Amino acid sequence: MACLHDHSCEDHDCSADWSLYKHIDISKVTALNEAVPGSVKSVFKAWEQRLSSSEEHLESNEGDPELLVFIPFTSDVKIKSISIVGGAGGTSPSKMRAFINRDGIDFSDAQSMQAIQEWDLAENLQGVLEYQTRYSKFQSVASITLHFPENFGGDTTQIQYIGLKGEATQLRRDVVATIVYELMPNPSDHKAQAEGGGGLSHVE
Amino acid sequence: MVLEATMICIDNSEWMRNGDYSPSRFQAQSDAVNLICGAKTQSNPENTVGVLTMAGKGLRVLVTPTSDLGKILACMHGLEIGGDMNLAAGIQVAQLALKHRQNKKQQQRIIVFSGSPIKHEKKLLEMIGRKLKKNSVALDIVNFGEEDDGKTEKLEALLTAVNNNDTSHIVHVPAGPSALSDVLISTPIFTGDGEGGSGFAAAAAAAAAGGLSGFEFGVDPNLDPELALALRVSMEEERARQEAAAKKAADEAAKQEKGEGQPSGSQDAAMTENVNTATSEADNKANDLMDDENALLQQALAMSMDDPASSHEARDTDMSDSVADDPELALALQLSVQDSTKDVSSQSDMSKLLADQSFVSSILSSLPGVDPNDQSVKDLLASMQSQSEPQQKDEEKEPKEEEKK
Repeated sequence: MACLHDHSCEDHDCSADWSLYKHIDISKVTALNEAVPGSVKSVFKAWEQRLSSSEEHLESNEGDPELLVFIPFTSDVKIKSISIVGGAGGTSPSKMRAFINRDGIDFSDAQSMQAIQEWDLAENLQGVLEYQTRYSKFQSVASITLHFPENFGGDTTQIQYIGLKGEATQLRRDVVATIVYELMPNPSDHKAQAEGGGGLSHVE
Repeated sequence: MVLEATMICIDNSEWMRNGDYSPSRFQAQSDAVNLICGAKTQSNPENTVGVLTMAGKGLRVLVTPTSDLGKILACMHGLEIGGDMNLAAGIQVAQLALKHRQNKKQQQRIIVFSGSPIKHEKKLLEMIGRKLKKNSVALDIVNFGEEDDGKTEKLEALLTAVNNNDTSHIVHVPAGPSALSDVLISTPIFTGDGEGGSGFAAAAAAAAAGGLSGFEFGVDPNLDPELALALRVSMEEERARQEAAAKKAADEAAKQEKGEGQPSGSQDAAMTENVNTATSEADNKANDLMDDENALLQQALAMSMDDPASSHEARDTDMSDSVADDPELALALQLSVQDSTKDVSSQSDMSKLLADQSFVSSILSSLPGVDPNDQSVKDLLASMQSQSEPQQKDEEKEPKEEEKK
């Protein structure tokens, strides 16, 4: 079962769907407990290359199967489903928990916080499984953090590919840039309303 | 210039009263901490540093990570010595303090000063180390003071557990004549992970290494950061040019063997002597000082003379111990005034010339308002002949000041 299409699915049809990786801000992707710093960037690639194990993959440290991947996007996206290709020999992750729009999560935060959604994963070495999201909760996602607490018994956890399906909006979820606090209202700052006769009394 | 949040864990246990590090272990540690704070805040203005004490009445965070150097230095006053150090708790509290840093983009680093014996088990330390590594916190350990049986072994085990790609370091400082801070200055703890570090760190390192009392370039980066930066950049550029010119010089040396020019040869000899009067480091400093102050002078010289890669050759070849005699200097001047066929790498070469104080004084004498018989200039020449660095540096400033007047 490659996809839930009723025709024989060619790769190019699916790959268009899984194009959300283009909207990932790759330079700001980070992972905690990765054995090789920076290797997390290699798991975001095109659908066709999801099985190519020639490049490096994301691996956790020896004896510790937990992984935490932080994925910021260049614009707000809506995520419909997620696909994970793990490693062989029990190194595939068995659970996935997602957190939306929070940065700076570390392991103790991840363990204590309530995830926005959790999935039980199966070993998906062919990359044909996808895990649907509760779409209403994934409507304007600026960053997603994936926490993989366990695996299928291997010493380390390996992830070869993380695919995201959805659509990108062009909106940005920016932080408020400037905030002006008023201790006392100054009518000259509110000229528009005053002219419109919005009920403000004129203060000399 | 890595963006970093650092927590420094200070050991203020009873063992710090010992005087084997002068003036006392605690004082030496304080000095080192002050230097580290300065270096970190200098290398990147958004860096933050926090301090906590591990012994005393109990673990106490003196200041949470902040970029305000004054606040950090202020909290180092009035620290009391006493009690027993709790290394594990110290590291864990430091980790917690870093977790709650304001700017999540900063890398996390803990610097631990360990001067008293460690009572924790190696296993516990390794567990802590793995937890730090998992949360990508780097750890620097300064092992000084007490030399326990298992202490070094435990600290090394802690380091291997934490170390991720060489971001963590350990430094063992035995008691001795050199101060704790001086030893630390040349370590990766100060200089960053091999990036070249900050101007402050480099300045301090150069000062310690060269035995100079002042900062590199004679300019305090705290007082005049732009000037210090400009000097450092010009020195680095010069080094790059030197290397390029050295390669050219190697080619030219081959040509020279064919007897390209007798004058060039003697010019080399003269410049060798002139250049020999100071080490390359002091020269560069002088160059940079001069460069900044005498930009117009350099341009004029560049147009009228060219001294070539011969000065670079001089550096590469063995410098002979000789004194710069005036007649030979005069010959050099004449020769360099004549157009040479050699390549000019202009600016840096001018700098080499300017580095020679006697040459400069002869130039100065031609300038109105400067008296080469002035005591300061004479002192300068005398000091140059005795090849005393620090004196020269100070006195280089004087003729400079004289010229300003």
